[in-house]
Formats: sequence, structure tokens, C-alpha cells
Amino acid sequence: MSAGERYLTAGQLLARARELGAAITRDYEQRDLVLVVPLRGSFIFGVDLSRSLTLPHAIDFVELEPYHRGERGVRLVKDLDGDIRGRDVLIAVDVVDTGLTMHYLCKTLRLREPASLSIATLLDRPYRRLVDDLPVGYIGFTVPDELFVGYGFALEDRYRNLPDLHIRAA
Amino acid sequence: MESPDFQVFRGAGRPRFANRAELECAKLLDYYGVPWDYEPRTFVLETDGEGRVTEAFTPDFFLPEQNLYLEITVMKQTLVTRKNRKLRKLRQLYPDVNAKLFYRRDVERLAERLRLDLAS
Repeated sequence: MSAGERYLTAGQLLARARELGAAITRDYEQRDLVLVVPLRGSFIFGVDLSRSLTLPHAIDFVELEPYHRGERGVRLVKDLDGDIRGRDVLIAVDVVDTGLTMHYLCKTLRLREPASLSIATLLDRPYRRLVDDLPVGYIGFTVPDELFVGYGFALEDRYRNLPDLHIRAA
Repeated sequence: MESPDFQVFRGAGRPRFANRAELECAKLLDYYGVPWDYEPRTFVLETDGEGRVTEAFTPDFFLPEQNLYLEITVMKQTLVTRKNRKLRKLRQLYPDVNAKLFYRRDVERLAERLRLDLAS
């Protein structure tokens, strides 16, 4: 199994993260920003985005039980370490697809009464959305219905480290 | 076909799914806590001169929080023309109704991403 055709280079990915970072820096000036990064697929985008922000902010991580391992229902297997009440939360996620995972995470985080809640996604597949009520404020790239590896995206937990984003080979 | 105890099923009785893809979609919605109902409403698309229903459409799922009807088709892409036509008609006759068609390819892709078993 190989990584497959290159879809976006590391340079393009970083450049887009910086553009999003600039927009987020403008929008969140003078606010108490907490960047929430779901593990594990989003960690590279989360880091690039965090380093593109030129305002002070906190960074925290969550991990949700994957569907194929879950039994009764989705749950956080790693919760936030900090309190988000009254703070401005921005979820930095690798991809929004059906929206089911983000729907759950937003619902869970809203119960903790943040001042605001928004999503910055590296990749978006809006045409596959099952739940449309998500606060997606920042989109890196709208992508075709392909499976990707690299830049945090994995196949059986490998290839996350590849600097470029590849379309997974069939 | 198995019929698990669903947590956020909003209908009455126990849903009887037509195929494995429908069951897996129900399990997926349930897992993520998105309330759903199964075939709760039939939309009349055409009647004859005497008011008898000659064409109707019953979408597979309704998501009340999203106000969205969802139709899952496991037919090959080349065979979904009839379903597409029904969906277009539904949108014309009921412009306030939100409905989406989930194609076999969509279901297969979703299965691949989430490692579902849609083999049977």
C-alpha cells in the first residue's frame, strides 16, 4: 500500500493554515481564545493553525471514541484539561464530512457554556453533510469525495507524518 | 436482520429496515446521538382524476432536529434515475421539505471511513 497521488503540498497546506490564522487573529482580537484540537487526525493542522495565530491563546485536546470501537454511543475518551466557561472556543479539525462527530462535540462543549463556539476545518465535504447546523466559520479546502493520507490523515494509523496530503491509492 | 435497542429512535415500535445499509445508517445516527425516525411520512406525488394516489415517496429517515428527510439507496448509480426524479418532484411539490439522497457510493465511502460492515 502506498500513499497515492499528491493532492496538496506541505507548502500549500501551511499557506492556507496561515491565511486562516490571519483571519482568526483578526476575528478573535481581545478575546479569550481556546483552540480545541480533536486527536488524532487534527493534530498537525491544529499545530500549524496555532502557530499561525498572532494572538495569545490556549490550546487543548479532546479525543472521541471512534465509531468502529464504540458500543453504546460516542463519548470522549480524552476530555479537555481546562475550563472553557465564558471563553471563546474554536475547534480546529482535520475534516468535516457527515458532521456527526462535530455535532456531538459541539453539543458536548456547549453544555460547558463557552462565550462562543466555532469550527475551523482544514477540509470540508459539504455535499456529504447529514447534520447542517454546525458553526463552521473557517474552511481550508473544499475537497472531492476521496480518502486522504498524510498531514495527520492516517490509514490504519500510518502515514500521518507525511508532509503532503495524498489521495489514498486504491 | 439484527434490530438493536436504539437510544435516540423517535418513532413508535421497532423499525424494520429494508437492507443492511439502512440499518447501518440508523446505528450511525444513534451512535452520535442524532435523533431519528424511520419512514414516518409518505408524500403523495401524483393522484389520478379521482384522487387516488398513483405515485408516492416515503423517505427512509427523518431527522427532527435537522428537519431533514434522508433517502438511502443501495442501487447502482446508473439505476437511481427514478429515485432522483421522485426527489425532484418532492422538492417541487413540497418546497418546504428538506430531503437528501444518499447514494450507494456515499454509503460505501462512509462504510470505508468508519469501517462498517455493509457486506450483507
